[in-house]
Amino acid sequence: MMSKGKIAIIGIGEVPTRNMPERTHWDIIYDTCMDAVRDSGLHKNDIEGVISVSPLAQPKISAELSYGKLPEELGLKGCKDTVSVNAGGASTSNAVRLAEQWVTSGVAKAVIVQHVTLHSTIPMMDQINYFAKAGVDLQWEYPYGTTYNIIMGLMANRYMYESGCTPEQMASVVTALRSWAARDPNSFFYGKDVPSVEKVLASDMLNTPLHKRESNVLGDGGCAMVVVSAEDAKNMKRPAAYKLGDSVRYFSGTCVMRDFNKVAEGFRVTAKEAMVQAGITKEDVSLWNCYLAYPLAHPLIAEWLEVAPPGQGGKYFLEGRMSFGGDIPWSTIGDAPGRGHTGSGVSSACYVETARQLMGKAGERQVKNCKYVYQNAGGGSGFNNIATIWGKEIK
Amino acid sequence: MTKPIPETQPWSEKFWEGTKQGKLLVQVCKDCKSKIFYPRKFCPECWSGNLDWIEASGKATILTFSTAYSMVEPKFMDELPYTIAYVDLEEGIRMMTRIVECKPDDIKFDMPVEVVFHEREGFFLPYFRPVKK
Repeated sequence: MMSKGKIAIIGIGEVPTRNMPERTHWDIIYDTCMDAVRDSGLHKNDIEGVISVSPLAQPKISAELSYGKLPEELGLKGCKDTVSVNAGGASTSNAVRLAEQWVTSGVAKAVIVQHVTLHSTIPMMDQINYFAKAGVDLQWEYPYGTTYNIIMGLMANRYMYESGCTPEQMASVVTALRSWAARDPNSFFYGKDVPSVEKVLASDMLNTPLHKRESNVLGDGGCAMVVVSAEDAKNMKRPAAYKLGDSVRYFSGTCVMRDFNKVAEGFRVTAKEAMVQAGITKEDVSLWNCYLAYPLAHPLIAEWLEVAPPGQGGKYFLEGRMSFGGDIPWSTIGDAPGRGHTGSGVSSACYVETARQLMGKAGERQVKNCKYVYQNAGGGSGFNNIATIWGKEIK
Repeated sequence: MTKPIPETQPWSEKFWEGTKQGKLLVQVCKDCKSKIFYPRKFCPECWSGNLDWIEASGKATILTFSTAYSMVEPKFMDELPYTIAYVDLEEGIRMMTRIVECKPDDIKFDMPVEVVFHEREGFFLPYFRPVKK
């Protein structure tokens, strides 16, 4: 069992998710990391460790980060070590775990966890080639012409068949996620109209049951967090997000090997284990900050987490309960469909949002009396689920 | 545009040889009797290397499916619309495949299907079609 209450996030920095081909990776890294350090109240030379979430399909910046350039570039004179972590969408969770190990073992007192992605500068064919094959088995799946969209369609179609979830209910997830995104200055869709259920359903069918407006828009972005020990965070008397629980289950690397029942059970068990570590129940959760990449998965997860009764996940979304102003705060950056998809960076952005909410810095989207946040992440096409619980303070 | 062929491993070549003869082979462990898909170097249940093959009936049912209308790789665009499915074989294993020889609207959950092999550059991919009544 992971330790409870050993670390906290005390500083965050983020750039808006946009198409920013005029910016370089390093241009963004400067902004996010410097903002996070300033937000923490620490000096740059207090940072003793740097952990990067490895950007996908960007070999040049990945190599530069893996081979140790960031502390040198930013002049982090106190840095003792740096490393990159890659588990796809689960990278951020693992970067935070590694930060926890460094902090608790004495390797580093303060650690930056950062991510940057520039999709707009990747040649289109390279993007297509990379994402067509990543997370899809090259012998048993890829030759049939599958895609991430189709993998999601396979799961969603069976769910809709078994649960009776309607296309309108599925489409309402986009409306809910975009209702948060419209109020998030860092979202691709900040200030934009929230699409109605009818508008979502009127968009082109990509693959059943996925409409164009139910898929993701790729974007550029970056963010950073400063992690310290929980004790140091308390002594600093600054707004902080304390890590209270962590649980994980592995499912499968190959999509077709992923048993739907095992995935459902994995989501249920990890949530419960993380909450037990945190000493809370689901009734204590102020915000379900779910990271799933596609809107079609959200009703399932709402049921697996027992936020909605079996077969009622879609109904809850259609009723607006997970939308801005609803009674169940849910994915307050709108997950990837609302924020814009930055590859592994969506989970980084979700963790930053979790910290932002617990620090009371979420502006119009601020969840009232936000005390505990459920934050999950998964890698690849869904090879695992990592559930974490974060709190405003340690009991 | 060239379409991808399976990236095989030495221990999966027997499977693909079988498809050339119109046979859908399933790897089995002679020690723990597990049926194994996809083929492995060692049994994933007991790590035995004492592995063999049986010929599957080729009969299956559709667990789930998704019909693609756009946003697939350029190399597959000429085949749109096409339907990808997970099918459960009578032998208790699950495969990804294509559903062919029927209209997308006629494809149903739990529908009985049977294997039919489609050739691509020397490989014979196991696709499935509805069982004729």
